Amino acid sequence: MNGSDHLARTDPGALYRELSRSNLPTTKKWYLGVALLSLVVLWGVGCFIYMMKTGMGVTGLNRPVMWGVFIASFVFWIGLSHSGTLISAILRLTNATWRAPILRGAEAMTAFALMVGGLFPLLHIGRNWRFYYMIPYPNSRQLWPNLRSPLMWDAVAINTYLLGSLTFLYFGMIPDLAIARDHATGWRKKFYSALALGFRGTHNEWRRYHVASTIFAILIIPVAVSVHSIVGWDFAMAKVPGWHSTIFAPYFVTGAIFSGIAGVVIVMATLRKVFRLERVLTVVQFENLGKLLCTMSLLWGYFYFADFLTVWYNRNPEEWEVFRSYAADYLPLFLVMIGCNFVVSFPLLCMRRVRRSIPALSVVSLMIVIGMYAERIMIVVPSLARRNDPFIWHNYFPSWVEFSILAGALALFLLLYTIFAKFFPIMAINDIQERLFQTTDRKIGGVTVESIGMPHDTGKGGHG
Amino acid sequence: MSGIVVVGLFDAVDPAAAAARALRALPLPEGDVTTLSPMPLPDGAVCRDPRGIGFPRFTLVGWFAGALAGLALALGTYLLYPLITGGKAIISVPPTLIVTYEVAMLGALAGTLIAGFWEMGLCRFRTRLIHDPRIQEGKILLCARVSGDEEARRAMDAMETAGGTDVRPEEGEL
Repeated sequence: MNGSDHLARTDPGALYRELSRSNLPTTKKWYLGVALLSLVVLWGVGCFIYMMKTGMGVTGLNRPVMWGVFIASFVFWIGLSHSGTLISAILRLTNATWRAPILRGAEAMTAFALMVGGLFPLLHIGRNWRFYYMIPYPNSRQLWPNLRSPLMWDAVAINTYLLGSLTFLYFGMIPDLAIARDHATGWRKKFYSALALGFRGTHNEWRRYHVASTIFAILIIPVAVSVHSIVGWDFAMAKVPGWHSTIFAPYFVTGAIFSGIAGVVIVMATLRKVFRLERVLTVVQFENLGKLLCTMSLLWGYFYFADFLTVWYNRNPEEWEVFRSYAADYLPLFLVMIGCNFVVSFPLLCMRRVRRSIPALSVVSLMIVIGMYAERIMIVVPSLARRNDPFIWHNYFPSWVEFSILAGALALFLLLYTIFAKFFPIMAINDIQERLFQTTDRKIGGVTVESIGMPHDTGKGGHG
Repeated sequence: MSGIVVVGLFDAVDPAAAAARALRALPLPEGDVTTLSPMPLPDGAVCRDPRGIGFPRFTLVGWFAGALAGLALALGTYLLYPLITGGKAIISVPPTLIVTYEVAMLGALAGTLIAGFWEMGLCRFRTRLIHDPRIQEGKILLCARVSGDEEARRAMDAMETAGGTDVRPEEGEL
C-alpha cells in the first residue's frame, strides 16, 4: 500500500464537495418538494384527527376484520426498516469492500421507516389518547401493561431497535460530521461542531471508533432479528387460522430483509440520480444488492411454500378455508404478491443484465416492495375475514380515511429523508475515503484491476 | 495529555512515518506521539497506540445492567399487578426472557456508546484540543507532546527534516 500516492489521489476536499451535494444551498425545487410532502402529511394528520373524533367507524374495519391496513402497514414499515441497519452491520462485519456508498442511506432508511412504522399501532388503537397505557409506571389506574402479551414485547423490542438504529446511525456519522464541521461556516459550523462531539481523527480515536463500530454491528444484528420475530409472533401467538404457525418468525425475518433490500435499492437509485453520485454509487453496488435480492426471493418462496404445504396436506378445514379464499376473494392481491415476490422477480433477478441495469433493478425492487405490501395484507386480512365462525365472515376494503393516512405516512417518510439529506452527510464520506485510501490500481498482464490493502490482524485492536 | 505539543503537517504517510521514527529516537515515549488524520491509518503505520482498548468490557456491564432492569421490569410488573391472563402463570418464563433480552441488548448498546465516547475522549467541549482543519485536505498532522524548550526544539527539527510544514509548538491537549 503506497500511502503517499493514495492520499494525493483521493483529494479529500474534492471528494467532500462531491459527496455533500445534498447539503448545498437550498433550491426552489427542494422547498417545493418539502411543501408538497408537508401538505400530504398534514392531510394525513387531518384524517387521523377526523378518525379520532368520529371513531373507528370511518375506517373499513368491522367484525371480524378488526386488523386492517394499519397493522399491515406497521408490519411492512418495520420490515422495510430491517435491511438498512442489518445490511450495514453485516457488511461492516464482513468487511465487504463495496459497502461504503450504501451504508448511510440504508441506515437512515431504517431509522425513518421505524419512526413511521411505530406510528401505526398508535393509529390503530382507536382511543389513541390512551397510548400511555403501554408505559409501565405506578399510577392510580392500577392497570399495568401485560408483559405476557406479544404486543408488549413489540413495544419493548421496537423501542430497543429504534434506539439502537439511531445510535448506529449517529455513531457511524461522527467522523463525517467532523469533516463537515471543518468545511462549514456560520451556523452549520456550530451545528456540526456540537454533533461531532469534538472528534478530530487522532490515532486513539480512530482505533476505538473502529472497535465500537464493530461492537455496534454485532449487537444490532440479533436485535434486528428479534424485532421481526416478535412482529411475527404478534400473529403466531393467536389461535387464528393461517397465523398460528411456528414458521412465522423466520418467515417474517426473511420477508423483512427481502423488502428492506428492495427499499435500499430504490433509495440508492434515487440518491444517485438526484445528487449525481454516479461515480460513487456504481453498478457494482447495485449488482451485489441484486444478488442479495435474488437469494432472498428464493428464500421467501421457500418459506411461503413450506407454510402452504403443511396446510394443504393437513386440510384442516379452518386453515384450508383461509387458503381457499386466496383463490377467490383475494385472487388479485394473491397474484400481485406471488408474481412480484417470486414468479416474475426471481427469474428477472437471475439475469445479470437486469442486475447490472440500475433502472431495471429499481423497477424490480419497486415490484418487490409492492409485492411485500400485498403479502402483509394477505397475512393480516384473509385470516380474520375467514375466522372460525362462517356466519360472521366478512371481507374488508380500506376507506378513504385509511388511504389518506397511508399516503400521509409515506409522505412523512419521504419528508424525514429529504430533511435529513439536506442537513446531514447522506454518504458515508469517511468510509468512502478510507476505501479509496486502501485501494490502488494494479496491472495484471493486459488488464488493470483494483487491489485492496488490508492491515494484518495482529490481534491488537479491531478494525471494522 | 496536556502541555506543550509540537505539531507539523505532512502531505503523505511516508514522511510522517519518518518523522515519527525520528521523534521516538529522541527519545519520546510512544504514547506521546500521535497523528490527526482524515482517515484511519493502520496501527504502526506512523505511530502506535500503546494503551489497551478497555471499553468493550462496559458492553458486558451494560448488558448485565440491562438484563437486570428487564428482569426487574417483567417480574415487578407481574408481582405488582398479578392478573392471570390467557391461562398463563403469573410469572411466565418465555415473556420474561424476551423482555429481559431486549432490555439487556439496549443496555449493551448504551454501555458501548457511553464508555466508547469516554475512552475516545469525546465531549470535552471546554478543553482546548489540538486540531488543524487542514487534515481534511488530505494532510496528516503529527503531534508530539514534549517537556521543556530543548525537547520542543529537537522535535521541531526532527519534523522539519522529515519534510513537515508549518511546524510549531501549540498549547493544548491531545
